[in-house]
Amino acid sequence: MKISYNWLKDFVDLKDLSAQEVAEKLTTSGFEVEDVICQNEHLHDVYVGKIEKIEKHPEADRLQVCSVDVGFKKVQIITSATNVFEGALVPVSLDGADLCNGVQIKPTNFRGVPSDGMFCSGEELGIDDNYFEGAGINGILILPQDFVAGAKIEDALLLNDVIFDINVTPNRPDCNSVVGIAREVCAIFDKTFKECDLSYKTVGGDVNKHIKVSVETPNCPRYMAAFVKNIKLQRSPLWLRSRLHAVGIKPINNMVDITNYILMEQGQPMHAFDYAYLQGQQIVVRQAAKDEKIAVLNGNTYDLSDDVMVIADAKKPVVIAGVIGGVNSCICETTTESVFECAVFDLKSVRLTARKFGLSTDSSARYSKGVNINMPTTALKRALHLVDVLGCGEIVDGLVDVCTQKLEQRKELKISYQNVCKILGIEISKDKMVQILSGLGIETEVSGETLLCRPPFVREDLKNENDIAEEVIRIFGYDIYNNVEGGLFENAATTTGQFHARLQMENCLKNILVDSGFYETLNYSLYSASACDKLLLAQGDARRNVIKIANPISEDLSTARTVMAHALLLDVAYNLSVGNKDLRFFEVGRIYQAQKLPLEKLPVENNRLSVAVCESGFDFFQLKGVVENLLLGFGLTYSLRRSQETYLHSGVSADVVTEDGRVVGWFGKVHKAVLKNYGISQDVYYAELDTDLLAALPEKQYSTKEVSKFPTVERDLALVVDEAVTNEQLSGAIKSAAGKIFYDVNLFDVYRSEALGEGKKSLAYKIVFASDDKTLTGEEISAAVNKILRSLSFRFGAKLREM
Amino acid sequence: MKEKLEGILKKAKAEIENIQTLALLDEVRVKFLGKTGELTQILRGMKDVPAEQRREIGTLANQVRESLEGWLSEKWAMLENAKLLADMEKEKVDITEPSRGVKRGALHPLTRFNNKFMELCVEMGFTVIQTPEIETDYYNFEALNVPKNHPARDMQDSLYVTDTILMRTHTSPAQVHAMETLKPPFKIVCPGRVYRNDNDSSHSPIFNQFEALVIDENIGLKDFMIMVKEMAVRLYGKDVKMRVRPSYFPFTEPSIEIDATCQICHGKGCTLCKGTGFSEFFGGGIVNPAILEMSGIDSTKYSGFAFGPGIDRSVMVTNKIPNIKYLFRNDLRFLKQMR
Repeated sequence: MKISYNWLKDFVDLKDLSAQEVAEKLTTSGFEVEDVICQNEHLHDVYVGKIEKIEKHPEADRLQVCSVDVGFKKVQIITSATNVFEGALVPVSLDGADLCNGVQIKPTNFRGVPSDGMFCSGEELGIDDNYFEGAGINGILILPQDFVAGAKIEDALLLNDVIFDINVTPNRPDCNSVVGIAREVCAIFDKTFKECDLSYKTVGGDVNKHIKVSVETPNCPRYMAAFVKNIKLQRSPLWLRSRLHAVGIKPINNMVDITNYILMEQGQPMHAFDYAYLQGQQIVVRQAAKDEKIAVLNGNTYDLSDDVMVIADAKKPVVIAGVIGGVNSCICETTTESVFECAVFDLKSVRLTARKFGLSTDSSARYSKGVNINMPTTALKRALHLVDVLGCGEIVDGLVDVCTQKLEQRKELKISYQNVCKILGIEISKDKMVQILSGLGIETEVSGETLLCRPPFVREDLKNENDIAEEVIRIFGYDIYNNVEGGLFENAATTTGQFHARLQMENCLKNILVDSGFYETLNYSLYSASACDKLLLAQGDARRNVIKIANPISEDLSTARTVMAHALLLDVAYNLSVGNKDLRFFEVGRIYQAQKLPLEKLPVENNRLSVAVCESGFDFFQLKGVVENLLLGFGLTYSLRRSQETYLHSGVSADVVTEDGRVVGWFGKVHKAVLKNYGISQDVYYAELDTDLLAALPEKQYSTKEVSKFPTVERDLALVVDEAVTNEQLSGAIKSAAGKIFYDVNLFDVYRSEALGEGKKSLAYKIVFASDDKTLTGEEISAAVNKILRSLSFRFGAKLREM
Repeated sequence: MKEKLEGILKKAKAEIENIQTLALLDEVRVKFLGKTGELTQILRGMKDVPAEQRREIGTLANQVRESLEGWLSEKWAMLENAKLLADMEKEKVDITEPSRGVKRGALHPLTRFNNKFMELCVEMGFTVIQTPEIETDYYNFEALNVPKNHPARDMQDSLYVTDTILMRTHTSPAQVHAMETLKPPFKIVCPGRVYRNDNDSSHSPIFNQFEALVIDENIGLKDFMIMVKEMAVRLYGKDVKMRVRPSYFPFTEPSIEIDATCQICHGKGCTLCKGTGFSEFFGGGIVNPAILEMSGIDSTKYSGFAFGPGIDRSVMVTNKIPNIKYLFRNDLRFLKQMR
């Protein structure tokens, strides 16, 4: 919201304050001034000058040498402009000037003739024809003869304002106006608010004879109108144009400028109709019919529908209510009679319409924030005051006022003084509170320990003690808290803190991975729906039931993820593409699985740990080791079975299955076809664990037994078996055949060769024997080994390999 | 005989002194003390020594043997030590060669920051909770005093799934879940991801926040500030300075924004803090009683405060990360700098 400092001065005496001070205090009291723009930033060292004499340049035909009076001295300016003449008043920029278009002025020399500066065009002063007649021409701005040579140009052209760009929070729609901010300034600096002049003369007659207003929609709680005749349409005076120009509104003509002036000053959007074009001399506020169209002031034509509120005459829509006026009834050169509209529209209706047409106007923006039902009376009177002051036309007696809602009375809040102090945690005296609240226009009386507060009607945000406490403290100053002292939670009960079990467990897993050389990644949990295809998910896979974002930022961010692998594969592909090697990544994140689509209730959110490795020499069994290490800390007995995961290599992947059959994770080599989909040409190994399932496991219990005093004995056996025989089968059989003296068995080599034959492999085991109560003899060991060999031969056809 | 022994003593001493290797030293030992060694032979020949001299010669011979053995073992130890030193000299490595074995990876900077902060909260008596990322508009807006069509919904352009279900725009719904399920007094904190319809060079559509809520009897703005100050001191050290500014959140009243000494310039003023010496720390305020009532907490008895910053920016500042997009790009060259 842009607010003009000069405009504020209409309502507050700011003589003893600088704009900077006001801006700082506004910020510290809740109205952040994001920018302070000085209009004269590029207008210093520019003066009104009177050209006294023009001579030809002795050396250059196109140049003229002008003697100029700039009030405090005479200067010489060389110009190539052709529209200057003796006696003309022009803007003269002198040494040091730094103009709007970036030109810096220094005394110079044109072919031997010195020039003290330059004449300026309107453009160089940052203005155009809308602001000042003649400012748009391609030449020097010729100023009116009533300007005074020697005046600073910023004063002469009323470009000496300071503009605050204020971030008005949504709870304070009343402050999207000069009067709203002025009231705040009054409260902050303890000044008196100068009420608006609402007086105006009328010429008799009766507004109701000219116009009939009917409201046929619930979206218009109030519609006020006035009638002005014998309109003299012309440029507004410079002071008014200057106000609008300062806040970025283009001056058009006196009638339209008044509506914009009221919008900025009072925060009330208005509209002016050309009465001649209102058929049936009536205004109907209604929802549009389906087949209606309207051509509006931005040059577009819109198809209307019944969710759009319009202002219509007897036949046709003339305005999209609260958003933009139609070309069929706007003020134009021929306008002699006008109806002023000053209405309250439902903020939702205006906002939805503005959004529907992609139209954001000053009016729609203002209505979208909420206009109070009491505002139109003041605003309309203020507009008529301006009509009168500017002499735009004659005001007919009476105001139309169709109000479908009861006007609000000032509400009274009973506020406990003690509770306000409690909320703030500090003591502020009742007198001080009353002073602050009254300054904000909140009529406040003290009754014992109670404050009776009557906020102004525009302060719809004030409802309870907390609201009043905030008003008090923001004007009193939050600085009091900057160096606050006291005990931590001295007024609160002691609570014991607790980590979240899953987050804590995930942190442990993260640290294990980091120690194993992994880097943590973070990926967006939204992705492209094509992820399911890239990962070769089967058509019936539940993970294809993805939750779609209704208004996605892009296709890449259009779907809540149901699979983790996609993100890490993208990370691997990206890193390979930029030349990074030896990638060990992991991510802890969520997937979102709908039970039913379209979503009726919230989806299941499941937390996962995913791991990806792309490193030369890395293999399945190293990955298995990573997974085993991660699972070591859990009270979990699990087995592995071949994984059905479609994005993994069917022969080089496994599921981790609990005793009760739940799959807590899976790992393996990524399917070649999947890698191709991601443009990855190297092997990638991937693992995933369900951290919700892991977090629900009981804590691991440890149980140890005495360590044997007697030495262990090792024997190595190399066994030739069919490929189909697994290590799990053999080592299980070794364990059971070895009986009581079994201690441990480890596969340390796997060997295949032509000599062994097709479909055969040799597995070399180190078997460890031990006894708790004696030293084992050679005979005992041999007996056990023989038993093992017999058992393996019988069960798996295993033969001892000839070394 | 006596002369012979003295000769051996002299000879052996000289030879032992000159020996430079263990092998030669052993030869010397054999030469004098071996089975056929010079001294051994003398000792064996004792029986041929006349009886009256035998005692004297015997004593002398033993003395000579002891001296020889002493010198030999002394020299042995010396040579052995010298050999060890020489061997070690040969085994000398270039200590500047790179290390081998698995190199440690790194946590993501956001995790690191989050962990640090959660630890701090737990120490202060907060319980860490987790709530859904896909929320109903009741939890995300209405129960937080942002009714349908409230202008505040304009501030947070949301990603919707259906008309009533959306990606949460802040972690504040955690407040509502906590108030509905926990009995006061309590302190909770909920870290998590949030989503906005916003994606440009300085905004990420997904970012991280945490939400904290304290509900108790007799809690006021001053208690909030004391706690925030304590957190700032623990995170940034005891010289940290605070600055309070008014703000607006639909669910707190009064609402404030708290700045702490800029951690880039330490208060001197820099481009990041726009010369103010302060940067945003927390936003929050006193829980609006309307919110307490909506979630079934008696607002005449209980009050509290809520706060919750976005952490991505803090992470960027404390780790001097030049671009917010780095946080989700997962480039190994970036991640390696976090080791």
